[in-house]
Amino acid sequence: MDVDHLDDLLARIAMQDRRALRSLYEGTVARLLAVASRLLDDRASAEDVVQDMFITVWTRAAQLPELRSHPMAWLTAMVRNRSIDALRRKRPEVPMQWHGSDGETHQYDAPDSSGSPLDQLLEMQSDDQLAGCLGALDDEPRQAILLAYFEGLTHVELARRLGRPLGTVKAWVRRSLGQLRECLGEPA
Amino acid sequence: MNWRDSSQLRDKLAAAYALGTLAGPARRRFEAVMASDPAFERAVSDWNRRFEPLARRLPTQQVDEALWRRIEQRSFGSASRSEGESAIAPLKSLTRWKRWLDALLSPAPAAALMAGLMIGIVLPVSWPLLDPATQQTELPESYVGVLATAQGRPGMIVSSRRHGRIVDLKRVADIPVPAGQTLYLWVLDANGDPGAVGAVPRGTFVRIELPQEAEQIFAKAVELGISLEAVGAAPAVPSLPYAYRGLCGKLWRAAPPPR
Repeated sequence: MDVDHLDDLLARIAMQDRRALRSLYEGTVARLLAVASRLLDDRASAEDVVQDMFITVWTRAAQLPELRSHPMAWLTAMVRNRSIDALRRKRPEVPMQWHGSDGETHQYDAPDSSGSPLDQLLEMQSDDQLAGCLGALDDEPRQAILLAYFEGLTHVELARRLGRPLGTVKAWVRRSLGQLRECLGEPA
Repeated sequence: MNWRDSSQLRDKLAAAYALGTLAGPARRRFEAVMASDPAFERAVSDWNRRFEPLARRLPTQQVDEALWRRIEQRSFGSASRSEGESAIAPLKSLTRWKRWLDALLSPAPAAALMAGLMIGIVLPVSWPLLDPATQQTELPESYVGVLATAQGRPGMIVSSRRHGRIVDLKRVADIPVPAGQTLYLWVLDANGDPGAVGAVPRGTFVRIELPQEAEQIFAKAVELGISLEAVGAAPAVPSLPYAYRGLCGKLWRAAPPPR
């Protein structure tokens, strides 16, 4: 669905045109549901998030000018943010270190290779600039960025998943975002 | 250094927010700042656009019709209603008021910006209609609506003195009106319920005579809408979608008396 068509649909939704909401739904729901499902790993919760997003668009389209300028980025971000909120309500942050009932201090330190399927997503044929910029990052920092984006992991969760100290992971993410900013420049 | 004034720091926080690594209370605090500072909102929007190609790499999901039916039910009130029936989205009154206030009070949204710009246009146009005693000071208490077209452009300016019996309408952008139909003005209250005002005559600068004071008709209006209706009809509900729609502002200093 191209930007002009989306823009037209959103303008009509602002005027409470039901058919326009239906068309927007048909053109975007499969992709938005993919984003929510990936983050939440739960189809019912993902559908709840997507449902709430469409209702927000219906009720607030006239008050959201940024929605009109970059509709797909905005819709995707809305679904991601709501999914991340839902995820974190469901999955409270776990500290890196904790005291067990035996009085000992425990910490997560097992490396986890489950980030690798994310690289497969990156390796898919694509001409987008982001893929090139991500590809230029070192392996582990790239894993951290992809896990944060696709699975909504916090720094603490990233550190646990990647089996690296929290400070190291924070530095990876911070540096990687800086590199991406430099590589991508201002968005088109 | 004030962190709000550092564009570099703003960009770093925006990146962490858009990626999702900003967590817990820091995430909530950032959202509060973003809601009040358009520079932060723009920085996040830029990062959302940078990241968006990643989302396109996920395999799309099959969707069944039940999800649409739930959206339809919650958005339109009833999935079984047909296209042309009364169909204003049933919004809770507080939600609608908040939308109205958000649009007027937030720094940059198009509705507020448009209202500000268009009030600057409409006031000089209406000036000769006003009581001479008040021209040098401020407008008399008035209702003013700036309605947009479906394309989001300024479309129609609607104004009436609070205790007057005339509504002036200035058409800024024409939309085609099929033969046998006419534009029809509606007020929408905080619950989204429409109330008929009357048919809008053809012409660029026209007026509607009201059967009672504007205050009686517009006092509870949050928005105004203009639909296309059959000539001569007295519809109880508007035929949707609206041709023009926008906020209804109350231009007076004092709070309205309790009703």
